[in-house]
Amino acid sequence: MVESQARSVSVLGAGNWGTTVAHLIGQNGYQVRLWARAPEAAAEINERRTNTRYLPGLSLSTNIVATSALEQAVADVDLIFIVIPSQAFRTVCAELGPLVRPAQLAVHATKGLELGSYKRMTEIIGEETSLRQIGVLSGPNIAGEMCSGKPAGTVVASRFPRVIEAARELLRSKQLRVYGNTDVLGVELGGTFKNIIAIAAGMATQMQLGENAKSLLITRGLSEIARLGVALGADPLTFSGLAGIGDLMVTCASPVSRNHRVGAALARGMTLTEAIDSLGMVAEGVKAAKIAHELMIAHDLRSPLMEGVYRVLYEGLSPQQGLRELMTGAVQDDIDPSLVRSAP
Amino acid sequence: MLPGMLSAGQVEKVVSEVAGRIIESVHARALDLIHETLWWEQDRLSTPEPGAEAEALADKLFYAEIRRQLPRLPESEHRALLERIVCRYANEIAGNFNPAVYKLAAKLGPPVLSAMLTGLSPRRLFQRDGIPRLDQHLIIEGDVATLGRLHDRGTLILTPTHSSNLDSLVIGLAIQQLELPPLTYGAGLSLFRNPIVGRFLQNLGAYAVDRRKRDPLYKRTLKEYATVSLEFGQDNLFFPGGARSRSGAVERKLKKGLLGCSVAAYRNNLIHSRPKPDIYIVPCTISYPLVLEASTLVEDWLAEAGKSRYIIVDDEFSRWERWLDFLRDVFSLDLKIHLRFGQALDPFGNSVDAHGGSIDPRGRPIDPRGYLEVKGELVDDPIRDAEYTRSLEQRIIREFEIGNVIHSTHVLAFACFELLRRARPDLDLYRLLGSIGPEQTLALPEVEAEIELILVELAALAEANELRLSRIVADVAAHGDTRTLIRTGLLAFGSYHNRPVVERRGIRLHVSDPKLLVYYRNRLDGYGLRAAPSLPSIAPQKQGYGHG
Repeated sequence: MVESQARSVSVLGAGNWGTTVAHLIGQNGYQVRLWARAPEAAAEINERRTNTRYLPGLSLSTNIVATSALEQAVADVDLIFIVIPSQAFRTVCAELGPLVRPAQLAVHATKGLELGSYKRMTEIIGEETSLRQIGVLSGPNIAGEMCSGKPAGTVVASRFPRVIEAARELLRSKQLRVYGNTDVLGVELGGTFKNIIAIAAGMATQMQLGENAKSLLITRGLSEIARLGVALGADPLTFSGLAGIGDLMVTCASPVSRNHRVGAALARGMTLTEAIDSLGMVAEGVKAAKIAHELMIAHDLRSPLMEGVYRVLYEGLSPQQGLRELMTGAVQDDIDPSLVRSAP
Repeated sequence: MLPGMLSAGQVEKVVSEVAGRIIESVHARALDLIHETLWWEQDRLSTPEPGAEAEALADKLFYAEIRRQLPRLPESEHRALLERIVCRYANEIAGNFNPAVYKLAAKLGPPVLSAMLTGLSPRRLFQRDGIPRLDQHLIIEGDVATLGRLHDRGTLILTPTHSSNLDSLVIGLAIQQLELPPLTYGAGLSLFRNPIVGRFLQNLGAYAVDRRKRDPLYKRTLKEYATVSLEFGQDNLFFPGGARSRSGAVERKLKKGLLGCSVAAYRNNLIHSRPKPDIYIVPCTISYPLVLEASTLVEDWLAEAGKSRYIIVDDEFSRWERWLDFLRDVFSLDLKIHLRFGQALDPFGNSVDAHGGSIDPRGRPIDPRGYLEVKGELVDDPIRDAEYTRSLEQRIIREFEIGNVIHSTHVLAFACFELLRRARPDLDLYRLLGSIGPEQTLALPEVEAEIELILVELAALAEANELRLSRIVADVAAHGDTRTLIRTGLLAFGSYHNRPVVERRGIRLHVSDPKLLVYYRNRLDGYGLRAAPSLPSIAPQKQGYGHG
């Protein structure tokens, strides 16, 4: 059911990742509409081919047509990428509701859950719009590296094969491999909870604990993510893919990631507020830690690593204490029995 | 001809359309399919089915003939042979339906039905001052005005919860009271052999579903039959749970094969540009204070995995004396059966408004045709459609959940069970049930206190439209009069069932039938009441297709 004809496509959100997605599609030779809430940002992209706030120094594809009118951005397009931070996601979807039609496809690329409701982004799309053929884009994708043409892989997850095919056709290139998955829930959760582990990795790096410790963090972190994910209905194998271990590795390894930087700032002795202020941007992991903490209580799960990060962030525990508790806690099985059982 | 009912000629057309479509969709695999059918049918016929010896013999002869011919026929003839099998299946499904008799039955319907459902024996009729009518014990709720409009605009599929074989009769009564055209539905072949309703059913718009036939080709024929009848504008009744709820709980998982007929019929209607293409799915809940077949059903639910039965034929539904007892108690205790129509849906799980137009989650009108289109063209995509059917399933389950009407019996059973469960938190369901004996009793004040707490939570849930309360339960919740609730619950529990489910001795309550206690308690399962765990999730998962 692959169609070769060019599709019309729009990207909503001209932040760091949204602009990158539009740029990649534009570079593949497709006309792409990019929606920026601020008219100045749209004007800058159209007139100067730059987005200095988020991607300084990058000359954007000439196939991008930016607009600040949402109606214009989505009218009659086949596929809509929604790349809006999780806290603004519902608002944009509510605006989108009257503008979209059942035949349109949508893929979001937002990592996070809604605060308070724990809703996933695909659930929010379903609650606010008539869009049904939807999916999620996630994976180890640092925007800067993608823009400079370095090779990477990513995942599009959807229950609708046509959504995966359409997104793949637009995104794939010599530098980007696009993998499909049907476990939408697992891919969304993997992208959300890995940010918590990244905060721990930032602390560990700052405290110079070495590579062994970091590997310990990543592996045990993945196990906790998978356990929580399975409790919420995900396929455990999704976490061994690009949206699971893949995304977790890159987030923990890269010192430029926001979550990593929050962790490092905390380990330098800053408070959470100071750390967030020094960053100037939202770190999704800070919110995700709170959500994961509440979900773990609700599902009666034990996740010492994520719990440790939560206590450092919200209960004033020092990173050093947090780590000590982690190392002296009871040791579990290397591979959690619940994951072995639920593997198909 | 009755409005909304297919004529004999049309039924014939439906059958040939069904066979034609299935044969058309078969490509090079005719021989494989024939072998598959032979295997499954041989398997079925190897275990005798009491009461169906004549049919079994005819089937055996038919397949022996197929088997004899098969090696002699050139490949080009295989499709014709397959067509004979499909036609045989399709005719069997439709064959029990006789429009002429139906017309008569429908005309005589109300008195015949009420005589059936009330007097049951002439002697009983004469003993009473006037004829008690079941319809006086049936409370029809929900947006019934929309139903008629939707019928005029398109084709209806009624999808009720399924607790009892009385359900189809209750629906039949309601349909007549609402003056809606009759519905067709698939009834188990075993029901056609039921001594009480069999002959009646045969002519009541029901088509036959033989649950013993496991052949995939048969199931395909069945689904195609339902689809084609929808396309002919025939309103349908599907029990989407597939079988009566064994646990007593409201269905939380549905059979998507049959539900998928809705999107298939809608798509075919669009492809053929039919004038009224819309298919409307109307979920409804039927809530009984007591269930005729409760004992048999819960027994089956609790049977060890693998020992449960797909098909139950020898239950209370086929025994006159149980019907009599049940109806006597419904009348004498003035029990009310609630039939509640929920939000009407399109095949994609969207709500439809009072005029039959689909609306999005925020109430804006949408054209659902778009869900099937790519660049303005209707496109066939079974995986996509299965996904839409999943959305539909979720919406129906939600309607079941919020349309469920809670009776005193459910609350009393829930309270008693909770007290027993909390006293022995170390036991799983089976051990807990095994541990409940005559020596264990509950103090009345303890039960009252528990019911009070449950009622507070129930009132909040009802207020938030998460479920419904029967009039008695709602009154009691409003006035805090737990004793009335216990009294009504105990009266009902002490009547129809062989042993009282719960009975009062002095100031203590005795649970005499723990299995039925769990059955009635389960109607409140899954609402998070009193932070109790969900029981169906800890009971064994049944394999195969649990019908009957």
